Amino acid sequence: MKVIHKGNAVSKGIGIGRAYIYKPYIPHIREEFISDSDIDKELETYEKVKHQAQKEISNIQKFLEENDDDKSKIFDAHLEILNDILIAEEMNKQIKGVKHSYRYGIKNVYGMFIKMISEVDDPLIKERVTDLKDVRNRLLRISDGVPESDLSLLNQSSIIIAQDLYPSDTATLDRKHVQAIITETGGMTSHTAIIAKSYEIPAILGVNRLMEEITQNDWTIVDAMNGIIYVNPDNETIELFKNKQKDFLFKQEIIKKYINTKPLTKDGTIIEISLNIGSASDEELENEPYVDGIGLFRSEFLYMENTQMPSEDQQFEVYKKALIKFKKKPVILRTLDVGGDKALSYLDLAKEDNPFLGNRAIRLCFNHIEMFKTQLRAALRASIFGNLWLMFPMVGSMDDIYKLKKIVEEVKEGLKKRNIEYDPKFKFGIMIEIPSIIMIADHVADVVDFASIGTNDLCQYLTAVDRMNPMVSTYFQSYAPSMFRVIKMAIEAFNKANKPLSVCGESGGDLIAAPILIGLGMRKLSMNKSSIAEIKRMIKSNTIEHLESIANHAISLKTEVEVVDYVKSQLDTEE
Amino acid sequence: MYKKTVQIKNQSGLHARPGSEFVALATKFDSEIRLNKVGQPNRVADAKSIIFILSLGIRKGSMIEISAEGKDEVKAVDQLVALIESGFGEL
Repeated sequence: MKVIHKGNAVSKGIGIGRAYIYKPYIPHIREEFISDSDIDKELETYEKVKHQAQKEISNIQKFLEENDDDKSKIFDAHLEILNDILIAEEMNKQIKGVKHSYRYGIKNVYGMFIKMISEVDDPLIKERVTDLKDVRNRLLRISDGVPESDLSLLNQSSIIIAQDLYPSDTATLDRKHVQAIITETGGMTSHTAIIAKSYEIPAILGVNRLMEEITQNDWTIVDAMNGIIYVNPDNETIELFKNKQKDFLFKQEIIKKYINTKPLTKDGTIIEISLNIGSASDEELENEPYVDGIGLFRSEFLYMENTQMPSEDQQFEVYKKALIKFKKKPVILRTLDVGGDKALSYLDLAKEDNPFLGNRAIRLCFNHIEMFKTQLRAALRASIFGNLWLMFPMVGSMDDIYKLKKIVEEVKEGLKKRNIEYDPKFKFGIMIEIPSIIMIADHVADVVDFASIGTNDLCQYLTAVDRMNPMVSTYFQSYAPSMFRVIKMAIEAFNKANKPLSVCGESGGDLIAAPILIGLGMRKLSMNKSSIAEIKRMIKSNTIEHLESIANHAISLKTEVEVVDYVKSQLDTEE
Repeated sequence: MYKKTVQIKNQSGLHARPGSEFVALATKFDSEIRLNKVGQPNRVADAKSIIFILSLGIRKGSMIEISAEGKDEVKAVDQLVALIESGFGEL
């Protein structure tokens, strides 16, 4: 078995099949001249070839339209190129002027424009070179009398292996038999990536020297979850991946069925589902239609991705982007939470014996007040673009809250003085992750607009387990009755004060913990994208009454194992 | 001659699909239509050629000038500007 790991998994999934090495037509053109008397004939032949190309492209478009696809738009660009007036003009010059054969003319003219466009400093436009090459090859192939080769008829489960794939190759792909695609070239925005994603074909692109590593008919596993390729795997590995593939496909089906549904319990109780994000990438923000807001925007990613402190304007732009994308839905922005397990290269932090009990999050920000105020200014400036909920991590006492309020006031004053606009209705809230704050949750609920429970840290502090230390990991019991009892206190205090409370830690997206949380009265859960569909399914499968009875019994149990077994046995699951 | 300046608003600039839509509209007019990036008056593209337009590397935020000469010049420029301002459905 050979293992190759060096490619970009651009379309997730797992493919298992025989290698099908695809070698597309490669034109060989020599310099050819024609005589004066041949000019008209040459022009005529060129027109005929063009006409044939037009017909082929239209057929592909027809095929795509019938298969209910909007991919046919890609080929509009091909028709544009084929009939481009600039190309026509240059072809005329080649044939009539320089008296090149039309074939050599095609090579020259397309070559010139390919070079011109490759030099444009814009990745999206550069990718269009593929279209030009595709049209050029189509013309030359037709002129050689070679029929259109395609990937539309394969007779077994196949992994397509190619140097590169052109839109024409991928458009009519035999989707029943293509298990995966691997190519040597191509990036995230390439045609192959786009097509593979929309057809849900696993794909790994940009694999160096791929053609040397795999031969025709080799058994191949494409793990496009991790970007790893296994060539001639043993049976055990094949079995393993067959199961992984089955799980993946099952999960995909649940996602398709539930991702876009409203999270109502069987008897109609509304549960809000929000999204946890890091860097506010397009890919993350794309999930806006499926959720009620951003429940946790981990702003530290901005700080950790950079080699220097992100400026106020840099931060402003990112916050603004997320707020705009989420329109009027709440965006809970958690202020910088570093220290503990997360260091910053440009911030000189003293080494601590117990960093998780040390100078982290707001404690660290209190010591770096200018850095802190910069972030708050950026956030408040961005607040006018949406619905900002500002949340502070690692709050342990009312003193912390008073201190934070004072700092926020100072930042507001500073903005007012400089006549800089912000939304005065932005919300002020805290993370609940230190047990001490839950013990005074009634006081807290009086003075904050909202709170969100970070279950990972709450569990760490409640059970006194360093969650980075593998030696004590079995003591980290996030399903323990003690966890839910503590959380229940917070829920009761916030529900009584009529202030929003959510869960944004792992538990919010967990199929054992989430039902208990809802049963205890939690109505807002925030989670990673990958949990949304499954949690929606769980919510839709159960009544609120049922979840309440599960929760009440769960917190009366004695051990974590009992809780897990009990919840598993009680939950209903809609088919 | 009639001309107007407009800023590209859509995310992907004038690449394949928006570029195609732009050319398709330009081709409907009889006037000669040209465009260039503001500040690069020497690199002028024929608005009816996708190749030309791609080669200018027009992206989101680019300011471009569209000029036309012919009997439907005003209509041509106004409609092309409107198309760009519509954001090609990407806004």
